[in-house]
Amino acid sequence: MSSLLDSLNPAPRTDAIACAERAEIDRSLRAPVLLFFVSGIAWLLLGSLLGLLSAVKMSMPHFLDSADWLTFGRVRPAHLNTVIYGWASSVGIGVGIWLMGRLCRVALRHRGLLIAAGIIWNMGVAAGTIGILAGQSRSIEWLEFPGWATPVLFIAYALIGVWGVIMFRFRQPGHVYVSQWYLLAAFLWFPWLYATANVLLIWHPVQGSVVGAVNWWYGHNVLGLWFTPIGLASAYYMIPKVLGRPVHSYYLSMLGFWSLALFYSWNGMHHLIGGPFPAWMISASVVASVMMFIPVITVAINHHMTMRGHFDYLKWSPTLRFTVLGAMTYTAVSFQGSLMAIPSLNAITHFTDYTIGHAHLGLYGFFTMTMFGAMYYIVPRLVGWEWPSARMIRWHFWLSASGIALMFAALTLGGFLQGLELNDPEVSFITSVQIVAPFRVVRTFAGILLMAAHLVFAVLFIRMLLRHGERREGPTLLANPASPEVSTPAV
Amino acid sequence: MDAGILLLIAGLVLLSGSALAAFAWAARDGQFEGLDGASSVIFDADETMREDSDCFPDAASRAARDGAGGHA
Repeated sequence: MSSLLDSLNPAPRTDAIACAERAEIDRSLRAPVLLFFVSGIAWLLLGSLLGLLSAVKMSMPHFLDSADWLTFGRVRPAHLNTVIYGWASSVGIGVGIWLMGRLCRVALRHRGLLIAAGIIWNMGVAAGTIGILAGQSRSIEWLEFPGWATPVLFIAYALIGVWGVIMFRFRQPGHVYVSQWYLLAAFLWFPWLYATANVLLIWHPVQGSVVGAVNWWYGHNVLGLWFTPIGLASAYYMIPKVLGRPVHSYYLSMLGFWSLALFYSWNGMHHLIGGPFPAWMISASVVASVMMFIPVITVAINHHMTMRGHFDYLKWSPTLRFTVLGAMTYTAVSFQGSLMAIPSLNAITHFTDYTIGHAHLGLYGFFTMTMFGAMYYIVPRLVGWEWPSARMIRWHFWLSASGIALMFAALTLGGFLQGLELNDPEVSFITSVQIVAPFRVVRTFAGILLMAAHLVFAVLFIRMLLRHGERREGPTLLANPASPEVSTPAV
Repeated sequence: MDAGILLLIAGLVLLSGSALAAFAWAARDGQFEGLDGASSVIFDADETMREDSDCFPDAASRAARDGAGGHA
């Protein structure tokens, strides 16, 4: 009956036009987004290998120490920077570009600008990594790339920022969705952070204890004002989109965004409690850290209430399984961060593996998991092919989830015990070192699990690009849902 | 005064100003009004509410083109 009525009306169907427009937007985004994804995965593999090597060296200091470039002092910062700028930033930019295209509802403008930015960005990361391994690290945490490499990254980023402004300027009229707010803010905040830190630490270096203040201001904010907004933008899009139901409370989502914008940038100084800084500086940071409960609780309530009654989707949707785990971890890591700002707890956890565990939970448990979820949704729409293996997705999920859980548990527990020993004047320093030794073995094992997860994902991604396997008519699901949208190979 | 500090202050003024300008623009443009319907802007005629959209785009395109419905 429906098709008969359609035949009586020769006008094109509205949904067909919308579908064609959406397909055109996805097509226009394909090359630059895939460039950032492919390079991001390559950096993820290298960064994981360097991280694993660093973890092994924590237990076996003489492992592969015959060459200068393989010593701990070079491998560890190379791991940090390849993961932050090579993997996390690249995949974040890729997801951000795709979301901006979708939410602005216009085909990509100036594709060449983004491709050039992607190439320059990767050249900058490669040059910086080689510089660190060659012994030119600047020994400023998260800013170890040599001074001559950072302008390259900044130029690349400037091109991306300009593109973001142009896309927003030419978007379709209508409401600016909360994910767009987060992305626009991230695109503006990162160059501010990066340029300021480079000016004050490298080009016109400040002196004395101010170096520590600027370093922690940058290190903390790059997580909270660069990676966090991109991760939340993705979660705010993916969860409602996959479920087919709007976010629980849009009021809360706006409150969450503006309160993050207001409070987060003050947080970094809580890492310097007890340090040689003005008391007001530390106090303001502690207060702002506790105020972070507001945006975190709003996001947690919103995501939970959006999912309520639909948790069975986690059984079979790869996108949701990764994204929801990432969103839940965001709540956990943010609560932990606020509690770490309380001086009595900070006195124990400071200078220990506990802080490393916190950073891994944020960058991996929250951000990386959210990005994996986004990629499971985005890539089929760019490649025009469905993920070839649900089994490999399951392996990817369980290896990465168990790997980060084990790593976080080992670092947190080991770090806490280490802190108790460090604070006990009756205990010798070497005892505080020996007590974390078994936890560092567990950390290495967790690193092996993560490395395996990344290899599985890389193979899956390559198969996807090569359109390997049988053509499927529906999404590759982890298990057969009750609904009829079951992934089956086309006959 | 040190050139770096001047640069930092200029950057702070610029970015704080742009954040305020963004907030003012959002208020003037009505971005804080009608928030109840705002959450549904991510859905389209072919990627609708009440249907999951985690699906292969070609299948959705074909379904829409053929008028067969299906999940978009």
